[in-house]
Amino acid sequence: MKREAGWLDRIFDVVVHAIILGLVAVTLYPLLYVLFASFSDSGGFLAHRGFLWRPIGFDLGAYDSVLRNPGILIGYRNTLFIVVAGVALNLVMTALGAYVLSRKNVLWNNAFMFLIVFTMFFQGGLVPMYLVVKGVGLLDSLWSTIVPFAVSTFNLIIMRTAFQSIPDSLEESAKIDGANHPTILLRIVLPLSLPVIAVMILYYAVDKWNGWFYASVFIRDRDLFPLQLVLREILIANATDSMSTGASAGDRYQLGETIKYATIVVATAPILCVYPFVQRFFVKGVMVGSLKG
Amino acid sequence: MANSRAALSNGRPAGMAAKRSRFVRDFVLNKYLYLMMVPVIAYYVVFHYAPMYGAVIAFKNYTPVKGILGSDWVGLKNFSDFFQSYYFWRILKNTVLISVYTLLFEFPAPILLALLLNEVRSRAFRRTAQTIVYMPYFISLVVICGIITDFTNADGVVNHLFTLFGYDGQAMLQKPGLFRPIYVLSEIWQHVGWESIIYVAALMNVDQEQYEAARMDGASRLKQMFYITLPGIAPTIAIMLILRIGNLMNVGFEKIILLYNPGTYETADVISSFVYRKGLLEFGWSYSSAVGLFNSVINLALLIAANAVSRRVNSSSLW
Amino acid sequence: MKKMLTASLIVTIAGTLLAACSSKGGNESEGNAAGGSPVATAPASASASSSTDTSGSTYPLKTDKTLTYWAEMTGNLVGVKASLDEVPFFQEWQKKTGVKLKFSSPPAGQAQQTLNIMLASGELPDMIEYDFLNGYPGGPEKAIADGYILKLNDLIDKDAPNLKKYLQEHPDIDKMVKTDNGSYYAFPFIRGDEYLQVFQGPIIRKDWLDDLGLPVPETIDDWTNTLRAFKEKKGASAPLAVNSKPRFFNESGNGAFIGAFGVTRGFYQQDGVVKFGPAESGFKEYLRLFQQWYKEGLIDKNIATADSKSVDSNWASGQTGASIGNAGGGIGKWQPLVAAKDPKAVLVAAPYPVLHKGDTPMFGQRDNPYSSGGIVAVTTSAKDPELAVKMLDYGYSDEGRMFFNFGTEGTSYNMVNGYPKYSDLLMKNPDGLAPAQAISLYTRGSYNGPFIQDKRYAEQYFALQTQRDAIDIWKKTDAAKYALPPLTPTPEESSEFATIMNDINTLVDEMTLKIILGDEPVDKFDSYVAKMKSLKLDRAIEIETAALKRYNAR
Repeated sequence: MKREAGWLDRIFDVVVHAIILGLVAVTLYPLLYVLFASFSDSGGFLAHRGFLWRPIGFDLGAYDSVLRNPGILIGYRNTLFIVVAGVALNLVMTALGAYVLSRKNVLWNNAFMFLIVFTMFFQGGLVPMYLVVKGVGLLDSLWSTIVPFAVSTFNLIIMRTAFQSIPDSLEESAKIDGANHPTILLRIVLPLSLPVIAVMILYYAVDKWNGWFYASVFIRDRDLFPLQLVLREILIANATDSMSTGASAGDRYQLGETIKYATIVVATAPILCVYPFVQRFFVKGVMVGSLKG
Repeated sequence: MANSRAALSNGRPAGMAAKRSRFVRDFVLNKYLYLMMVPVIAYYVVFHYAPMYGAVIAFKNYTPVKGILGSDWVGLKNFSDFFQSYYFWRILKNTVLISVYTLLFEFPAPILLALLLNEVRSRAFRRTAQTIVYMPYFISLVVICGIITDFTNADGVVNHLFTLFGYDGQAMLQKPGLFRPIYVLSEIWQHVGWESIIYVAALMNVDQEQYEAARMDGASRLKQMFYITLPGIAPTIAIMLILRIGNLMNVGFEKIILLYNPGTYETADVISSFVYRKGLLEFGWSYSSAVGLFNSVINLALLIAANAVSRRVNSSSLW
Repeated sequence: MKKMLTASLIVTIAGTLLAACSSKGGNESEGNAAGGSPVATAPASASASSSTDTSGSTYPLKTDKTLTYWAEMTGNLVGVKASLDEVPFFQEWQKKTGVKLKFSSPPAGQAQQTLNIMLASGELPDMIEYDFLNGYPGGPEKAIADGYILKLNDLIDKDAPNLKKYLQEHPDIDKMVKTDNGSYYAFPFIRGDEYLQVFQGPIIRKDWLDDLGLPVPETIDDWTNTLRAFKEKKGASAPLAVNSKPRFFNESGNGAFIGAFGVTRGFYQQDGVVKFGPAESGFKEYLRLFQQWYKEGLIDKNIATADSKSVDSNWASGQTGASIGNAGGGIGKWQPLVAAKDPKAVLVAAPYPVLHKGDTPMFGQRDNPYSSGGIVAVTTSAKDPELAVKMLDYGYSDEGRMFFNFGTEGTSYNMVNGYPKYSDLLMKNPDGLAPAQAISLYTRGSYNGPFIQDKRYAEQYFALQTQRDAIDIWKKTDAAKYALPPLTPTPEESSEFATIMNDINTLVDEMTLKIILGDEPVDKFDSYVAKMKSLKLDRAIEIETAALKRYNAR
């Protein structure tokens, strides 16, 4: 019987690796496409069809156009602040909420859950939101993109599910040892939830990194514009490919295509590095065997 | 304490005193928890519930100067405008079908991927694969749809592949029958990596000892996957499923608009894209708000139902 | 998550004023509005009769007040300067008018959103540069009624003699610039010459025509032959390449090709009757033609998915010989693209096609002299509207017109034989800026604003002679006769109209593509027209007719 299982296992392995390899190839392509396109000569790129195996010609024009914009460095600086401060606030708030909501025998938990989930379905709209943010005095500061988004309901639910999977016995025995809730949260629940914390960091960081819309609404001072907003302006400015009263024949129009790709590279490269960093948190639950029954 | 417990265990309502003491007891027991919850509740009240009155513009004929509360009440007129459109049933059908197909095919894909990745023994291979596979999520939708269009156009690579199998070679995105498959498959392509992350994390909590036991019993890896791994992440799957069902009506307009054209309206035109086109003719805040409300109500109903089912079936639910 | 945001984005962009805020803003605006402009419409007598036009303000005005001005930054300046007060043109504008301005701009692409919030929260600047005609729900009359912007009639009468004179001399433009009720709501952008109104039309490869011994096509039959020759002899896979986003052959909306059959894609007027093109028999013939062309491979086989990038791509790879485009963004963009592969290539304009040789095309692209982008309104928050009006009137004076179009003599242009020629600073910028950007730094000739545009800007803006000739070729159409002027339905009619037209447009777009691709026969057209009627097409025509009547009566 063991031998049969071994043979089946080998096929299983091959199939698994093949599928994954195929998926990797297919998902790598868009990234390579963007990369190659950003280094391409724009005219040649426009003419090209089909698979992009390598840059068409070699032209740093797109990058030059994007990077010479003085707003880029400012954008990076602002976004960095937003990500660090924002994720920190997010983690604290979400962990607090998820912890409480995952405890059993709390009378109000169901009501809380419903009210919180309800907000995913009904929103008041942009202007009421604007008035609230103005009312609390956050307008025109980087915090206006952080505080009103302190908790993502979706993430809250995920973290709560994760906290729920920690055995009650651990909480019980901690209580017997005289621990109060904050201690349980910090000493027991969080250390055992490293994978989900890693996921939260990733989700929140990506969300903050990509944000531009609310910054465009709440922030007037250009020195506080986050990166994506700066890049978006560049994209829009270069996308004007048919101006009504026309302009002279200019390379600017052609550059428009490759600028799009250079922008994506500049906008995305840093955040892509977060995941490998965060991967190391994905460790198998160490303690689970420690408590039986 | 003994009194109220006795009272409750009799199964007879013990009167107001007992009810009140239940609240009091709960508060005394859980006061730290409630305290910890205060910042979170405050956040939701200030930033979600305070602005929520704005949703009422769906029932009004909105003018900025009168404000939301002052604008004329037109009752259900905005809704009836929407329901009476010649295309109402079509866009509703398309929205639901696209969501359902996405649910059937795209929802399980990240789970499968997480399971497969879990089976890879080489850490280097697994890590590299994980890092690459989630990247399409970061590439802007415009670029992704550009690639899709390019590949499926007449003489495009994918198109060419299919002609070898007898396809007639026309641009695939002009055929209504192909729109949904292209949409769903590209959804998988774009999201499978990113969405698998949460399942990969959930997998970390699966009890290793069970694998040991199973191996000793001679179970194949496939069997282990089905009987240990999958059930181990069942709560996560259940919650994600509930949330996904609660989003059924939200087929976002950006991707639809990038991929559709009038030739595929009959399968591709969804509520959001239809409303978008109307918005180009004239921005009716009230109209789009009414449609949004319609979507939200249906979504919420679906979520409540899914939650109830899940609670009964495997006791993981939102409330 | 993202979907939620997007949903709430499109769905609930709501404005609100908490009761307190609303009345506060309202009261302030009552005060100013009362001082600004009560109901009268007819211009007052004294200054109207005089013909000496330089009565009125002398510039620079003598004041030490600062006014606030809100405007979007034009695309050409994004990335070049961080804000409007760094732009030389705007700095000079303040000096020339003598009024100091404090600028604020929304982020690119977010003008409507930001304006909405500005209005709702009561934080209005003195002047707003925004398309109130198309960008404000309910239209400009409503913006006045809602108490946001001032009705300018009296102010113009008293303090804007230059604009007033121009409007008196051009009554047809005057009609465009007012609302149905006769209110002036903003300082308009006016294209001062017919030459500036036309800029789009068929573009074709002259070098191919020469190689094949063919003349520039004029009739539909000419085009059929020419396209066939392109396909067979030049190997073009998409002899005619057009943009199909958001609908098939999007530019046909301006009348190219479809006009030969006596109709256009939208509403038009003929003998005083408003008609809808796709419901007329001419449209059926147009569909028949294009179905035939598609079958023969004379248009892009990927026509259903074609967007402007694929048109560019077709040109760049030599797969196409003709398209529709602008003199600037079309010829200007495609000429170097094609020449990169084929140095002999020359792109020229072709006339709008007709059915019979010698006919004048009924339709063709022709923008109105009044364009509502770039217009400037004075808000009810302005504490000194007279000053604002006087300042804005500068753009319509002789001196102002030169300044807006050409900038500062000696810096951005030089008079050469009486012709204002852009200097090398603009055309061959030492910092490597493209002419489009440099021109936008020192002048406003290239984009909309509160002034009268001069044709001499465009003549220089076009670097190629083929571009300049194109305008003359394309303007020979009867569009002025058949196209509808800029109508404004009433706010109630406007929602009804939009609801009806959304259904009808969806139907027409589907029908067009299905028939042209050959999925349905041409005769199916008749049942589609029946369906249009059942979708209340007649009511839509009625609304347009009423709006036209009101327009003509202005």
